[in-house]
Amino acid sequence: MTTNIRKGLFAGLLAGLLLAMLNFVTDGTPGRILPDVLHWFGIIIADPTISRFSGFFLLIVLGGISGLIFGALQREKGITISRALLSGLTLGLVWWLVFSLALTNIMNHASSPFSLQFGSFLSTFPIDLLFGLVLAAIYYQLQEHPATAEV
Amino acid sequence: MSISSSANDRKPAAVTRAKESSSSRIPITLSERSMTGLALIRIFVGYLWFQQLFWKMPPDFAGLYPYIIRESQHTIIPGYGYILQNTFLNSCTSLHTASGCTFFVPLAASVWIAELIVAMSLMFGVFTRFGAILGVVLAAQLYVGLAYAPGEWYWTYGMLVLLCLVLTAIPAGRRLGVDQWLAPRLHAAASNNRFARFVSWFA
Repeated sequence: MTTNIRKGLFAGLLAGLLLAMLNFVTDGTPGRILPDVLHWFGIIIADPTISRFSGFFLLIVLGGISGLIFGALQREKGITISRALLSGLTLGLVWWLVFSLALTNIMNHASSPFSLQFGSFLSTFPIDLLFGLVLAAIYYQLQEHPATAEV
Repeated sequence: MSISSSANDRKPAAVTRAKESSSSRIPITLSERSMTGLALIRIFVGYLWFQQLFWKMPPDFAGLYPYIIRESQHTIIPGYGYILQNTFLNSCTSLHTASGCTFFVPLAASVWIAELIVAMSLMFGVFTRFGAILGVVLAAQLYVGLAYAPGEWYWTYGMLVLLCLVLTAIPAGRRLGVDQWLAPRLHAAASNNRFARFVSWFA
């Protein structure tokens, strides 16, 4: 159980780092959407640079917490690749529902916590699913014995 | 005597050459770290394609229009401009808006969907090599049309072609991607199913 949680934490931190890096590579100012992460929790920092970097690190922390939960939910010692990927995509879906949809709408005082536009759906949903998938794939790799891939 | 002596001299040289040849043809296997690194590169290249969807969003794909005009004016292949004029830009009257164009919206939608497929395929590692091949085609088209347009650096699109070619050559979706699950199943089915054999190469 402890090993699963440790593996989950490590995988979550790495997947969170990837998500933060993807959010950093934006057009215009680098990381201009990272303050949105702080905004989910009602945090507003006046300095734009500090705000962006705080968002970057908060995303990694949130990734770590998600990884902890992911690891804690894995009861058995080993996990199959199909179960890992399915669980990861489910985690990504939950992440999207909680953060990118509900919390964003609530903090922006939208008419409904689940109001959605095509543009915002397209910009958040695949990336959040990717976060879950990568977290699960890293978790799976951590329990695997090193093997080579056929080219 | 001299003949046998030169034959004896040639024998060790031939053996050495054979040894060198066989050792230089040892199959290369990528380490777990290399594969994971390539998977990360795959995700970022997919994200590159993904971000380019947002400046030419449906339903009118208006952001694409000025680029098609530029391609028709600065293409490096003779006749390509004529093809664009008679397909994407057929019946268009303005250099700034696509209003009045007969085929612009359906053709622009095809380009947008193709780029979406490339982005999803590379980011999620689903039939990665198929996504990469489609990426090569789209990037090559951009190279032909835009590489030598004013204000463009011709290597931008050349590098995009090369990046997608690398991802075509290496099955980068088999780590941190859905292909890690798909590939062994398709390989298992390939022995008695021709379609699975064909499709398995793309995973």
